[in-house]
Amino acid sequence: MLTYLIRGKVALFMKVILLSLIVAILLMLAQSAFAQREYVIALFLALTIFVLTITYLTKVSIPLKFFVPGILLLIAFVLGPILYTVTMSAFNYKTGNIISKEEAIVQIKARAIEADPSGVSFDIKLGKSDGKEAILASDVAKSEYFISTPVSRIPIAAGDVTLDANGVAITAPNFTALTNSEFANADKIYSTKHFMYEGKTFIALEGFEAGVLSRQALEYLPASDEFRSLIDGSIYRDNGRGNYSLPNDKTAILEPGWRAPIWFENYTKIFTDARVRGPLVKVFIWTVVFATATVLTTFALGLLLALALNKPIRGRRIYRSILVLPYAMPSVMSILIWGGMFNTEFGAINTLFGTHIAWFSDPNFARLAVILVNLWLGFPYFYLISSGSLQAIPSELLEAAAIDGANPRQIFRKITLPLLLQILSPLLIASFAFNFNNFNLIYLLTGGGPRNELDGQIAGATDILISYTYKIAFGSGTQDLGLASAISLIIFVLVASISLYGLRKSKVLDTFA
Amino acid sequence: MKKWLIHDSWRHLIGISISLFALFPLYLVVISSFSSSGSLQLTSFIPKEISFKNFHLLFNNPAIPYLTWVKNSLVIAGSVAILSVVIGSASAFAFSRLAFKGRKTGIQLLLLVQMFPAILAISAVYVIMERVYKFAPAIGLGTQAGLLLVYLGGAMGVNIWLLKGFVDSIPAELDEAAKIDGASAVQTFWLIFVPLAAPVLAVVSLLSFIGTFNEFILARLFLVDMQNRTVAVGLQQFIGGQYSQNWGPFAAGSILASIPIVIIFLSLQKYIVSGLTAGSVKG
Repeated sequence: MLTYLIRGKVALFMKVILLSLIVAILLMLAQSAFAQREYVIALFLALTIFVLTITYLTKVSIPLKFFVPGILLLIAFVLGPILYTVTMSAFNYKTGNIISKEEAIVQIKARAIEADPSGVSFDIKLGKSDGKEAILASDVAKSEYFISTPVSRIPIAAGDVTLDANGVAITAPNFTALTNSEFANADKIYSTKHFMYEGKTFIALEGFEAGVLSRQALEYLPASDEFRSLIDGSIYRDNGRGNYSLPNDKTAILEPGWRAPIWFENYTKIFTDARVRGPLVKVFIWTVVFATATVLTTFALGLLLALALNKPIRGRRIYRSILVLPYAMPSVMSILIWGGMFNTEFGAINTLFGTHIAWFSDPNFARLAVILVNLWLGFPYFYLISSGSLQAIPSELLEAAAIDGANPRQIFRKITLPLLLQILSPLLIASFAFNFNNFNLIYLLTGGGPRNELDGQIAGATDILISYTYKIAFGSGTQDLGLASAISLIIFVLVASISLYGLRKSKVLDTFA
Repeated sequence: MKKWLIHDSWRHLIGISISLFALFPLYLVVISSFSSSGSLQLTSFIPKEISFKNFHLLFNNPAIPYLTWVKNSLVIAGSVAILSVVIGSASAFAFSRLAFKGRKTGIQLLLLVQMFPAILAISAVYVIMERVYKFAPAIGLGTQAGLLLVYLGGAMGVNIWLLKGFVDSIPAELDEAAKIDGASAVQTFWLIFVPLAAPVLAVVSLLSFIGTFNEFILARLFLVDMQNRTVAVGLQQFIGGQYSQNWGPFAAGSILASIPIVIIFLSLQKYIVSGLTAGSVKG
């Protein structure tokens, strides 16, 4: 029956249906990606379609049939983002420099509008003339009226308009005012338009009922890739770092900028710019202290328990089921619960000990709380694996030592502990690497705080590298994706080295190295 | 006093005191969930009342779509659990059993990739999915489908790695015998490997389920809409704003959401511990 399902015509039919469905969806996605100018994504999708059809419709390679779906997913959602992180780290990619250069030029032009020094403004009505967006403008004081579109301006004699109570023209020949339903969507269309006036001046809308005589302050010169001020003639040039700026005053830049390649500057900044380096060094030291303290405390408590329960005493099974509960609970929930327990006013910890400690406002108490909560979360893991490993130590060794007259303490220090450390060292290293990036704990318990409000830095006392990086990328102030990516990659190199060292110890690598 | 008590008293002392440490927060949540005060305060160790107000609030307050959150979590974690094991086991089989060019390099690359903490690429994932949203709103940022794809890709590395370790441990004679009998690779996979590996596949998929259920930050970034959230994100956001009012329903909600996970975990303890000793750590 099973064989039939795998080899039969039914299977072939299902395969073709499924494959065509997937290919159809991917094709649709590729097209819309291409239309949105996401060429890299479109190319990846096209390659995916190609690989899928080749793999499953021809007999090119049997292994490919097995690992193509998994590998494609890995490339799309793990390898792709890693490569994208590498790319971002080489760019000046932060708040104010998010968009592409083409978009930036468009936006600079749109923003470079200023009111004409004459200060003239008009009362206006929005509407259409000859099917085009138009305004009916009134200079009430002078009783002058005209219809203006982006391409023309037609004066209207005072006798041809009807006025409202304020003397503003509301109807004119060849002009239809917007209906209420059209009005709802008018803002986007009309607010970006330049309605003709005289010479280089035009009317820009200010709200729906007023237009201000305006002029373009900057003009873009495509040939030399410069912006020229139409007011004083000064020239803004591409400063090579994602902004147009004055050659002699680098701080005078035009907003917005764009994401521009700055190669290794995000990396060099980490080591040379004191404003970046200062907090980062502090955070790094705490990260190492935190991860080390966590590994030591969780291992010590777990081992203590494993030793105490390493004998079939009464109730061992009950102890065991209770002791793994912290590990079995979804950690997001338990971290949040601990957060509530450390509250100064209502928290159970202060009630229990009769204290009134502001746990999360004092840097040292906050750090203590973080380590304590992580001890609670992590000790069952080391209890479980230590008790497993204790069983693995040959009892002859311990008996021989006892016969030779060693006391239990000596046996533990000279035989059990060294052997255990040898067995468990890869896991201790893995735990260090995991806690080095234990984002959830920090983010959910303290949010990295408390932070020193006075010096205005975003790094808090309990921030570890990864939570600090997250704040740099998604924080409330300047979001610097380029710098965050550079730090992420440095963390990866650190953690990968630690993990590879651990794997080498566990000899996993030997099997295929 | 009985002999066992004197002799083993230090063992019991350690066992009991650490058990109290382990139980204290859990006990507190349980009594808070049955208290009507709505806070996580320790007023007394023995609850004075048993109220179902919090549970009632959880299911009947339209401002807290708790059941929708649970459903979202189950659907997302369940899909990741099944799909990642189906796709991952095929890849693992290929890496472990089939000969092809660049297999060794592939495995080493896989080892390196599965070591990359997903959290490090989070800004890249965010920016990419934001761009995907512009041309495919159904799978971009803010959608459950997009989150599912990201989870699926992220689970691939570890799952292929774990499953490959298992396939390696199945004696090669079995599939060699099948080959001699004329079975193709696809048949060996379905008729020999899958039945043999069924328990392990179940364990790995349940591990993926727990891992996904527990995932927080991607879900937080992706699911902005109240109705779209997972339990973890929903409950976190819920106590984020006003402090003490919401702890009661939070306690009730987190207990209900935790029970299935705790049960799965306890029943899989043996496998999880051996899986962990193979070199991975639960998040």
